[in-house]
Amino acid sequence: MAQRGGAQRPGNGGGQGKICQFKLVLLGESAVGKSSLVLRFVKGQFHEYQESTIGAAFLTQTVCLDDTTVKFEIWDTAGQERYHSLAPMYYRGAQAAIVVYDITNQDTFGRAKTWVKELQRQASPNIVIALAGNKADLANKRMVEYEEAQTYAEENSLLFMETSAKTAMNVNDIFLAIAKKLPKSDNTASGSPGGTVRVEPNQQTQGAAGCCK
Amino acid sequence: MSWNGVEISKEQIAAGMAQGAAQNSRLSDVDEYGFERPPDFDYQSYEEFMSKYLTVLTRRARKWSHLLGAKETVGRGIKVKRYVRKGIPMKNRGKIWMEVSGGKAKKIANSGLYQSLLKGPFNDDLVDIIKVDVPRTFPDNIYFRDYNEGKLASLHNVLVAFSHHNKSVGYCQGLNYIAGLLLIIIKDEEDTFWLLSVLVNDLLPQYYTPVMVGVLTDISVLEAIVKERAPLIWKHVKHYGLTWGLLTTKWFICLFAEVLPIETVLRIWDCLFYEGNKILMRVAVTLILSNQEQILMSQDFADIIECFKKITRDTNAIDCHMFMENVFKVSGSFPRARLAKLRQEKEEEVLEEMKKEKTIP
Repeated sequence: MAQRGGAQRPGNGGGQGKICQFKLVLLGESAVGKSSLVLRFVKGQFHEYQESTIGAAFLTQTVCLDDTTVKFEIWDTAGQERYHSLAPMYYRGAQAAIVVYDITNQDTFGRAKTWVKELQRQASPNIVIALAGNKADLANKRMVEYEEAQTYAEENSLLFMETSAKTAMNVNDIFLAIAKKLPKSDNTASGSPGGTVRVEPNQQTQGAAGCCK
Repeated sequence: MSWNGVEISKEQIAAGMAQGAAQNSRLSDVDEYGFERPPDFDYQSYEEFMSKYLTVLTRRARKWSHLLGAKETVGRGIKVKRYVRKGIPMKNRGKIWMEVSGGKAKKIANSGLYQSLLKGPFNDDLVDIIKVDVPRTFPDNIYFRDYNEGKLASLHNVLVAFSHHNKSVGYCQGLNYIAGLLLIIIKDEEDTFWLLSVLVNDLLPQYYTPVMVGVLTDISVLEAIVKERAPLIWKHVKHYGLTWGLLTTKWFICLFAEVLPIETVLRIWDCLFYEGNKILMRVAVTLILSNQEQILMSQDFADIIECFKKITRDTNAIDCHMFMENVFKVSGSFPRARLAKLRQEKEEEVLEEMKKEKTIP
């Protein structure tokens, strides 16, 4: 079951550095490991049989980047095709997305490309998209070549990494890479969709936008 | 402790209460249905509730036994409706669900169908999708870990048979939890298949179809009711950039399984099988109206989401008997015709929105 993460939560108004808050959505075919990536990132855990996600699960996690604290508000969505009609409510207003496929299953890579297209067409214009080829620990069953995915990612200006929720390979790294790429100046943030945001003690956000202070 | 097997004598209850001091040792870390209790399980609150609820269960069991007489099941009527709302005893539950929902009639009219569906032919893609989800169903339940001993093989069979028989629905994630819980309660594979058919085809048409328009419609109906009956909550949720879909999708898809405590879910399902889907809306409205203060005190996006999770797990949600009494009190008069009209209006809006979002052609 989803639980709120929130290790190392930043103390509001507590001094140096900026605090930024971003919404991130995970998309991808069923059973590619979306929930497992989030569980690894938020709690450092892995379950061989991760419950299938219904609707979506919400979790948060904070990372530190130089003098900036980045808080991710993460929507981990259900993967089955028919949940597609529910997807816009999760990616609408998201500043970042991780589109996940399973390196041992070519169909999931095709589905990942469809998600990327949909995000490019329908999500916020400035959304940062990362492509994650998960289950990299199962390299002996590989069906999607690294180079193929990398070329596709380059052509579409996506961040790209192969990951393994099981071994933790590249899991934190992909979230950090996204955090680095997200705009963190006041100007950029207020230009993002959803309107302006203030961060005050006891009242972190308003509306659905990224924020900085 | 087998409090859900209704044959509990007063002496046993008294004995149970006397043991109250040794609370933590009485409750094992696996519940009566095979679910592991989470590490932060509130044994004390649960124990307090159970010692009261045992008395209720005993009283209800006696009344039901009187109502049933030598029969195994009941017809319909005001008295039966009242009895159902107060909870069907565990030992009668499966049979009564089958009877009052029409599942039994379907089973009799289609004798042998379930067995023949299991002989195939099978659509391999469909079977593959089901195979992926079966071991991902209730991994925290001891009966869902072993294909040879537990319920996983039965779950696989029910879902495969169901999806091949109901081609317009096929397999929808969420049905694994519903079928899984049915298997835990009624134990019989074929009856589970028929109850699942009743739920999906008769009680919740459009919920599990490929665009899930029924679920989205009911979320939208809930929003309309909240807007009318608790406008402050509606504004509050909107103010923080949340939508009702983000907060309540799983409530509807899973029919509160995996959302509310299991005992509470079973009481809701008693009404669902007898009265129909209106109970889901009543429960959703009650959860929100009864927790307005808490929701309003949550002052950011993440806190509100957390609050909506908390209100499905707190002591009010655990005390299923009081919870159900509250459901009918708080949701109040709920005319079927008005609900139908609201649904029709909202469905049109939902379909329009889907076309705009290009999630349907």
